[in-house]
Amino acid sequence: MKLPVVQFTREQQAFRLKVRAFLQQHLKAGTFQTKCDSWLSGSDSAFSKLIAAQGWIGMTWPKHYGGAERSTIERYILTEEFLAAGAPVAAHWFADRQTGPLLLRFGTEEQRQFFLAKIIQGECFFAIGLSEPNSGSDLASVRTKAEKVEGGWLVNGAKTWTSNAHDAHYMVTLVRTAPYDEQHKHKGLSQLIIDLHAPGVTITPIPYLTGERHFNDVFFDNVFVPDSMVVGTLGNGWAQGLAELAFERSGPERILSTFPLLNELIVELKKAHDIAGLATASKLLAEMWSLRNLSLGVAQVLEEGGEVAIPAALVKSIGTKFEQKIPEIARLLVRAYPSLQAERAFDRYMAQSILHAPGFTIRGGTSEVLYGIVAKGVVAQ
Amino acid sequence: MSEMLEIVSDVFEKMCKDFVTKETVDLLEEGQWASALWQQLEDNELLKVAVTEQHGGANGDIADLLALYQLVGYYSVPAPVLEHTLANFILEAVGLTPYSTVTTILFDEQYDKADGTMHHVPWARVAQQLVLVAKKQLMVIDLSQATITQATNLAAEPRDTVSFQQAGIIAQVALSKQQLQQLISYSTAAKLAAMSGALDKAFQLTVRYSKEREQFGRPIHRFQLIQQHIAILAGEAAIATAAIENIAHGMERSEIAFASIRLDEASKIVATSAHQVHAAIGVTYEHSLQHYTRRLWAWRDEGFTAHYWQNQLAQELLQIEDLWAWMTTK
Repeated sequence: MKLPVVQFTREQQAFRLKVRAFLQQHLKAGTFQTKCDSWLSGSDSAFSKLIAAQGWIGMTWPKHYGGAERSTIERYILTEEFLAAGAPVAAHWFADRQTGPLLLRFGTEEQRQFFLAKIIQGECFFAIGLSEPNSGSDLASVRTKAEKVEGGWLVNGAKTWTSNAHDAHYMVTLVRTAPYDEQHKHKGLSQLIIDLHAPGVTITPIPYLTGERHFNDVFFDNVFVPDSMVVGTLGNGWAQGLAELAFERSGPERILSTFPLLNELIVELKKAHDIAGLATASKLLAEMWSLRNLSLGVAQVLEEGGEVAIPAALVKSIGTKFEQKIPEIARLLVRAYPSLQAERAFDRYMAQSILHAPGFTIRGGTSEVLYGIVAKGVVAQ
Repeated sequence: MSEMLEIVSDVFEKMCKDFVTKETVDLLEEGQWASALWQQLEDNELLKVAVTEQHGGANGDIADLLALYQLVGYYSVPAPVLEHTLANFILEAVGLTPYSTVTTILFDEQYDKADGTMHHVPWARVAQQLVLVAKKQLMVIDLSQATITQATNLAAEPRDTVSFQQAGIIAQVALSKQQLQQLISYSTAAKLAAMSGALDKAFQLTVRYSKEREQFGRPIHRFQLIQQHIAILAGEAAIATAAIENIAHGMERSEIAFASIRLDEASKIVATSAHQVHAAIGVTYEHSLQHYTRRLWAWRDEGFTAHYWQNQLAQELLQIEDLWAWMTTK
């Protein structure tokens, strides 16, 4: 498996510094506080508005729809700067990462016209409706159903573990538009855009183990969805959803969720002039570097329209293990008292990392499922 | 990959396939090296890929050599291809003339006067001259006057003891600190490239075995726990390959340090999983897996190790201001 080497151009490096300066400025001004796992658990719609004002949401999309037609690599730089700074970018995250590319690939002209500009302006957030109470890793077994009615579909069922649904305006929802067939589970699935403020939608929180609101249950009771909100081809929902996964699994958010803690670890070790500690910590930097090589290579292949399902699954399975490892190594090198309320940054990031870590290897495809995808892929080659 | 490199790699790989069989590698245990392969490589000028045109070579660079070293590792080539070509590359880098006769190389920072005894000298028994890189100078030593006691590393590769009454120094040049650092980078990168080849091969062998071996009525790759091993191996092989590709662009010192530390880890993970999947056959001479895992175990502790680079990085980290800025300017 050979991936391209990405070397940043001078313009790209300049862009990185611009993003960094923006983040430093807002960090100093107190607009946000650095936090681990901020890309998923740091939702701040006002901050998303500031990012939109810079032109940094949907920055790779066609100008025709309000995008800036910048490269995947530039978006990669933007994203990793957000993560390194621990900035709260969760509100617009899914719309920017997944929904936009999905609509550009499969959406109707009307859907693109309606949604993309709003997303770019930071005014329209999306959630992703996949898991159900009885469908987790076995996603193709989803049962939420849409029945054909005059002018649209009537949706009944429930989604669960839906990140940030309470902040989102819409949800791309995987539903069954044809009866469930045990032998052909992947058939008859479709993606519908559901207005989360429509009558019949109920959203209830499932508190995360940090106490934060993050996951939600989303219930549908005879929710009407107009025909114009079907994404792509009826019955093709499974294949369309798979196409999104490469974007979902290979990005810097699978490597850098706990970077603020790693940075603070190095700061503490340097303060203590702890050479042995720095030598041990350098193993973490080596891991980060090697994962970033893979992740950037995948981004480059995506830019060129290539096939990356296997390396993307690898980045996620190895990267999330690395994210989990950081607090476990750090706490043995520097004395910590993890607490979410701690004054000392090291203790606070440690608490955030420990409490968020179990989710890293679950969300977006469990490591066990990913291992299966990779193994079957390489055995078939 | 340049067009020239692609052709060179293809020819080199073909020769490895023709001349390096399991039996050839096994013969190294009895002290026999692949001299027939060497002859072929010499006849086809493959040993001069990175020698300058001025000295009759193809003018390649370190990136070209690293691509060949990946193949050296992938085929466990039982001949001093890496040592000879690296020694010559380094000789030219410091302004000396390369050799056609077998040349080997040793880094010994402690060694500033070439007398007494040197340990773990690769392939000294078949080499005519040794390039000795010491802390402040580089010396070329005539091995015909040396007493050579044969010894091997964990993979039965020659790592001889060389002693002198008085060494015949053929050439000598002083090294600045920067020059020494650069040579250390070359040497480390060379070893890592070979390791990445061996890592990839151990992964490939494991996939193949998991398809051939049946237990409980089905090939073992159908078991989820075996799939987990395969996925982990695929990840380590991909990481190793990408690491070499990245250091080949630019030969940046801290990237070489990262690669060294990460491939050390990869060696451990790959050897463990590959052997676990192969079970009993893998820990015998019957199967070739051991050619690769033993090399990984040997190479990781030779030359400039992860231990060395961790300490180098620790010193560098003390100097930097901001970790993220430092990590992203490479």
